[in-house]
Amino acid sequence: MPSGWMGKILDVDLTAGKISTRDTMAYAGDYIGGRAMAGRIAWDEIPAGVDAYDPENRIIIATGPLTGTLAPTSGRTVMTSLSPRVYPRPWYTHSTLGGWFGPELKYAGFDAIVIHGRADSPVYLEIRDGEARLVDATDLWGLDARETQLTLKGRMSPQTQVLTIGPAGENLVRFATVQHAEENAAGHSGFGAVWGSKNLKAITVRGTGGVSVANPEALLREVIGAGTFKKSPAVAVVFEGDQNLRKEESPDDGGVDPAASADSAESNGRRPICSQACTFDCIIGSYERTVDERLIPAFCIGAVWRHESFMQDTEYSGGGVEVPPGRNFGLCEEVSLHELCNKLGLDLWFRLVMQPWFIRCKQLGIGEIRGHPIEPEDLFWFERFMHQLANREGLGEIFAEDLVRAMDELEGELPAELIHLGRELEFDFGFPAHREGRFWDEEPLPFWVISAMMHISTSRDPTIGTHSSCLINAEFFLDDRELARRQFRLLSEKVWGDPDALEPTFENKAPVAIWSQHQHMLIDSLPLCDFAFPQLVRPMESRKAWQNAEDILGDLDLDLRLFAAVTGVELTREEMTRIAERAFTLERALLARAGRGRKMEETLAPHFKLPCRADGTLIDEAGFSGLLDEYYSARGWDLELGWPQADQLRELGLEEIIPELDERRRQSKAYSESPP
Amino acid sequence: MTRNKRIHVDARLCRDCQVCVLACSLHHEGECNLCLARLVVTKDMARYEFDILICQHCDSPDCILACPTDAMLLDDRGVVIIVDEECIRCGACLISCPYDAIFYNEVQDRYLKCDLCAGREEGPLCVALCPVGVLTLVDVEAVRVGV
Repeated sequence: MPSGWMGKILDVDLTAGKISTRDTMAYAGDYIGGRAMAGRIAWDEIPAGVDAYDPENRIIIATGPLTGTLAPTSGRTVMTSLSPRVYPRPWYTHSTLGGWFGPELKYAGFDAIVIHGRADSPVYLEIRDGEARLVDATDLWGLDARETQLTLKGRMSPQTQVLTIGPAGENLVRFATVQHAEENAAGHSGFGAVWGSKNLKAITVRGTGGVSVANPEALLREVIGAGTFKKSPAVAVVFEGDQNLRKEESPDDGGVDPAASADSAESNGRRPICSQACTFDCIIGSYERTVDERLIPAFCIGAVWRHESFMQDTEYSGGGVEVPPGRNFGLCEEVSLHELCNKLGLDLWFRLVMQPWFIRCKQLGIGEIRGHPIEPEDLFWFERFMHQLANREGLGEIFAEDLVRAMDELEGELPAELIHLGRELEFDFGFPAHREGRFWDEEPLPFWVISAMMHISTSRDPTIGTHSSCLINAEFFLDDRELARRQFRLLSEKVWGDPDALEPTFENKAPVAIWSQHQHMLIDSLPLCDFAFPQLVRPMESRKAWQNAEDILGDLDLDLRLFAAVTGVELTREEMTRIAERAFTLERALLARAGRGRKMEETLAPHFKLPCRADGTLIDEAGFSGLLDEYYSARGWDLELGWPQADQLRELGLEEIIPELDERRRQSKAYSESPP
Repeated sequence: MTRNKRIHVDARLCRDCQVCVLACSLHHEGECNLCLARLVVTKDMARYEFDILICQHCDSPDCILACPTDAMLLDDRGVVIIVDEECIRCGACLISCPYDAIFYNEVQDRYLKCDLCAGREEGPLCVALCPVGVLTLVDVEAVRVGV
């Protein structure tokens, strides 16, 4: 067996209480690991037509060959399942989480876990060095995610790594998370509720083995060569000097020893990391203190809660939609609220859509909903509301279904503007608007067009795989448009063979969207972190370095070399891209199985008629339809449904899925010709 | 490069990335294995505190005094090393270490400790790869006089 993989996947049948193993290498050649491998398992094993809460739904937790090694940022884990959050009906999607669980799983001898069935009563799965068993978790049910982890670590060992749900998952909140450590979570896809539906409270893992490396010298050479504590380009350029995101505090005493700080804390900018083997200086992490003076980390959206100006960035006005600014409750209050969110196991993103929506209610004179008062700018009301969400009590019972489903429930009771607003805030099949250039962050043309193509074609919002590879480059545009355009023309010629690929136009953006999606698939499968890979733009240490650069292209083949060093398997870029395309196509087939296709994807069009917050650009329905045509064509999918076609499936080695897709095509055609 | 040196730890800066540990086991054992490294990162989740346990290459090492055979010795760099062939697996060194920096690997029945990456001319890998400067290679003399 090549190095990197452990060779075993753990199969857990919660209904029968049985545990078995299968061979990872049956998948590794065609799918590598992680998200790509999980998609294959999902296609083969999740029956068509089942609901997210059906015992036959699978929870797949997968690592990749780089997980647990020294490869930078490789300590990640992917989780996939049918998502209860997806609107209007569940389909298969994925989340990834950082932390230390995936590496420990490999040290225990397993590449992945596939869970199905439903336990009669709460259980947790305990994994230790090649062995696994189900343990009664009745005493843990009801504990929050932090209490659960501390309890299980106390019972086993501090080195034990834990995935767990909080009360929100137990109570089937549609945006419930699976939590790990302080801040890591499979957060966006509501998989915590799937765990809850299966009576699965937690998974613990402890392993004392290691991950073999085919060429240790090569791996060390690559890691040393990549450098440590490199800033991502956007950090250097856009956030340089942003003191609010650069707190310099020591975790134990609230301040850095001046004697020790000269060449360490102060100059390096002390920030936490979110994943084992991360060597980067990442903008998304920060330490802050809770109201009871404990220092805790926050990453990405967690840091947004704490950042006053970021919360105000929810403000948007255009196209008849008014989104008020969110309300920041003060730094330590926000830190504590944010910690509470993690404890309860709620997706941190709920705040970004629900708080502005409730504030708009108040602005329109709505003071209560079904007898429940709403005070979204009151800290104590908001804290209580979070508990109500997690426990499905009071107002929480309605909104635990997520904002977009709450709009269906409340339609006719509230002003149409509010219902419309709620649907726009979660326009992307139930996922909060993000990376779409309107409500949250700024993506000027052409970046929101690339993003729109990704929204229409992927199983969830395209946020995660595009942080560094594509969309964050919009920040360069916003900062110095002419310089960025000049640099991007050179970069585009080199990467996509087309100097116009990132020109601010609507045309010919599919190659960048597809490239980004394939890169995303690979970093979720090797795995690597999307804030650090792919290095489309090379790390730069300062704004000045960026301004003086003409050629900004990064090292796009670092992933290939890390993969070869760890596994001993040499793949070309073309071979790796083919694996990504195969896996992405299979995910598309899973969407087709759930009935998703062009008709449903055209329903996203109205959101893109709203003016882009950065430059006011927009697109009408006909133009949006043209984006679908361009994207589907570039993918080789049919234009009627937007599904992969037989020749393409054969070429990718997916001929076995052709009969099912053919049958679904026939059913779809019959339906459109004579709808019931 | 490592003569009369030791690795100074400022654990307050630690981020728990485990890069030092992974690099250590990769260099010494050819695999990434937290239990085969010559240093350990510990984390207290309740208080969000870290510590790094690594040999301080003491002036008068208790481990050498405690060892009943010739398995613990000072090499010509002044670095305390374990000679595995001489080790009788009694664990006396581990018990004697004031820094808890000698580790027992149960699977391989071996005792492990930092040797400052013996044979690596550029110096210890953990120092080279720590992204945030938690680990620094310092002169024993400089430390002794508080420089």
